[in-house]
Amino acid sequence: MSLKNCYNFEDFRKLAKKKLPAPIFHYIDGGADDETTLKRNTNSFDDCDLIPNILRSVGEPDLSTTVFGRKIDMPIFLSPTAMQSLYHPDGDKASARAAEKFGTMYSMSTMASFSIEEIANISSGPKLFQLYIHKDKSFTDDLIDRCKRANFDGLCLTVDTLVAGNRERDHRTGFTTPPKFTLESIMNFAMRPGWLFRYFTNKKFELANIKHKTDKGTNITKSVIDYVNEQYDPQMNWEDAEYCIKKWDGPFALKGVMSVEDAKRAVDIGCTAIIISNHGGRQLDGSRTPFDQLKAISDAVGDKVEIILDGGVRRGTHVLKALAAGATACSFGKAFLFSLGAGGQQGVERLLQNMHDEIRRNMILMGCKSVKELDRSKIIYRN
Amino acid sequence: MRLKDCHNFYDFRKLAKQKLPSPIFHYIDGAADDEITYARNSSAFNDVDLVPNVLRGVENVDLSTTIFGKKLDLPFYCSPTALQRLFHYEGERAVGKAAKKFNTMFGVSALATVSVEEISSLIDTPKMFQFYFHKDRGLNDSCLERAKAAKFDVMALTVDTITGGNRERDLRTGFTSPPKLTLSSLFSFATKPMWGINYLTKGKFELPHLQDFVKEGTDTNTSIGNYFSTMLDQSMNWDDAEKLCSQWGGHFALKGVMSVEDAKRAVDIGCTGIMVSNHGGRQLDGSRSPFDQLAEIVDAVGDKLDVICEGGFQRGTHMLKALSMGAKACAGGRLYLYALAAAGQEGVERALNLYKTELVRDMKLMGCTKISDLNRNNLRFRNA
Repeated sequence: MSLKNCYNFEDFRKLAKKKLPAPIFHYIDGGADDETTLKRNTNSFDDCDLIPNILRSVGEPDLSTTVFGRKIDMPIFLSPTAMQSLYHPDGDKASARAAEKFGTMYSMSTMASFSIEEIANISSGPKLFQLYIHKDKSFTDDLIDRCKRANFDGLCLTVDTLVAGNRERDHRTGFTTPPKFTLESIMNFAMRPGWLFRYFTNKKFELANIKHKTDKGTNITKSVIDYVNEQYDPQMNWEDAEYCIKKWDGPFALKGVMSVEDAKRAVDIGCTAIIISNHGGRQLDGSRTPFDQLKAISDAVGDKVEIILDGGVRRGTHVLKALAAGATACSFGKAFLFSLGAGGQQGVERLLQNMHDEIRRNMILMGCKSVKELDRSKIIYRN
Repeated sequence: MRLKDCHNFYDFRKLAKQKLPSPIFHYIDGAADDEITYARNSSAFNDVDLVPNVLRGVENVDLSTTIFGKKLDLPFYCSPTALQRLFHYEGERAVGKAAKKFNTMFGVSALATVSVEEISSLIDTPKMFQFYFHKDRGLNDSCLERAKAAKFDVMALTVDTITGGNRERDLRTGFTSPPKLTLSSLFSFATKPMWGINYLTKGKFELPHLQDFVKEGTDTNTSIGNYFSTMLDQSMNWDDAEKLCSQWGGHFALKGVMSVEDAKRAVDIGCTGIMVSNHGGRQLDGSRSPFDQLAEIVDAVGDKLDVICEGGFQRGTHMLKALSMGAKACAGGRLYLYALAAAGQEGVERALNLYKTELVRDMKLMGCTKISDLNRNNLRFRNA
């Protein structure tokens, strides 16, 4: 199997599984507890049907939309995800370059393996930075200042990671960052010599944005879970969010809003967008899915903020359904991480090309000339 | 496994799989993307239950229905499908003759492998021509004129193939028309020698309605998805449909209507029927199933034109449910294509007879003797 055989999510997933050491693959692939929410994130789209219109001389549909003040050429972008160089040595550079090529947004995690400045140097495309509030406030201030200097377009504050989710696959595989070579995991790594070679012959693994502030996650063997639990501030509240908005003074989103009440409050404190997300089913298992909750949130605040649907998106038709239900755009993490693991920048480009083609094809089949035409009249919920 | 072991849809499918080279089997069997709509087309019937009436005296059951002014002996017919001679060397001849035997409608695709003239010389029973709106207007006119001259009863304009669906099985198997013998597909063709011998010895493979105008599909290998995307006119609109409707001057249907709004507009431009269809789940995955959408459309336009439910039928009871909901008739492709692949005309006849037998039995069990006895009182929705 090679990249040219990858036509869909499952193909990229399979190829990534072949290429990555098992603990790393399962870190991407897994969710919290029984992974019930992880599965439902995608399945929820199947409870809603699209209704096409015919004979509309569609021609070439316009897939563009605007998020965080930037026009993007397709209504889906890359979610912020941590430690991308574990999946491919080019890590964030590969995804940022691929995103720019397709005119869509790249998002950087606080826990990225390249720095804000490094990515700003290689990409002038739309960029979003994802902030975690650390116990040490000077961390937060420093990150916001640097994003401003580096001309990032938007900032999002993650609000669903006050404590780490119970990712049982990571317990079993002993996933840590940087990878720990225990007797148990050594076999898994030994069976992926290509990955090992690339890992040791490229730039040393680091959490580039925070390395000058902490040695956690960089110099000592530390699991992500422990890092989250020790460094993130569980006291974070609405005032902290408001503080970040004021300090940033630009397009701003809360990432991980799930209730209508919180969505309204996000509007009140001055957010320009919200990202409906359950962190890819990796935090609270049993929580509602973004798509199931989208309609209610869109009814409440859809005319006041941009709504990004994050989680479960694997197909162009999923994007169409989300837009019809009221989202401004979608974002995805797992799908592009598998493509990154499968083939670096080339892999992410192939994924984005597939996604672009699917959205374009399905827009034509729906009889829609632009994404603005996607509204509730185009979908029916089964129950 | 042989034809006499085929007792239902799934048996025909199994036998077809045995007989066909895998790229061809998967062309029939596959659908778009994750094939969720394809699966829903059939499973939609399971969300509604039949409620029988008893003690009604049901010894004689009449299955006949009238669509497009033609009386059919069965409330279902053979949808137009492309490339039938790839599935069995007799292709449309076999299906047409079987349809004639049961006096039901036979749909012939613009991508058929036997000409309308030959079909018309073989059968005098009701015939439908399925039209694709090509960029080449000369080709469009020629199709229309030939179907008219061959005395076809109904013209159906396909409106859901404005671009090709993402049929991933075809991407993997490399299915094209005419079949391309690549290294990867060679093995599957080599393991079905009878198919290969018939394909090579029973007359050249051709697309008689198109070949005077285009090479694609006859002399040049093309995938069906690619054909739709490059040869059909994506600017097709309601004016074009209205013009075709008056140019044809007879019974005219739109095939692939899914929204109530579009169904109403079909009435306005003079259509006498519509097929509620998502092209067998082969185009837009995630789109609603015909049966799920049927009630709304029947309520809106059922008294103004013939509403035909197309897609997902695997059982007589599925048809009873659609007819009870208000469809004038049912139609399907895979319904008879597996049988065609399994055993040619004999296979299609066995399939048609099987569904007919199921329908007669189920009508009796429902306490109904004619199709007009079926109505929504016979149905209960599980989640209503």
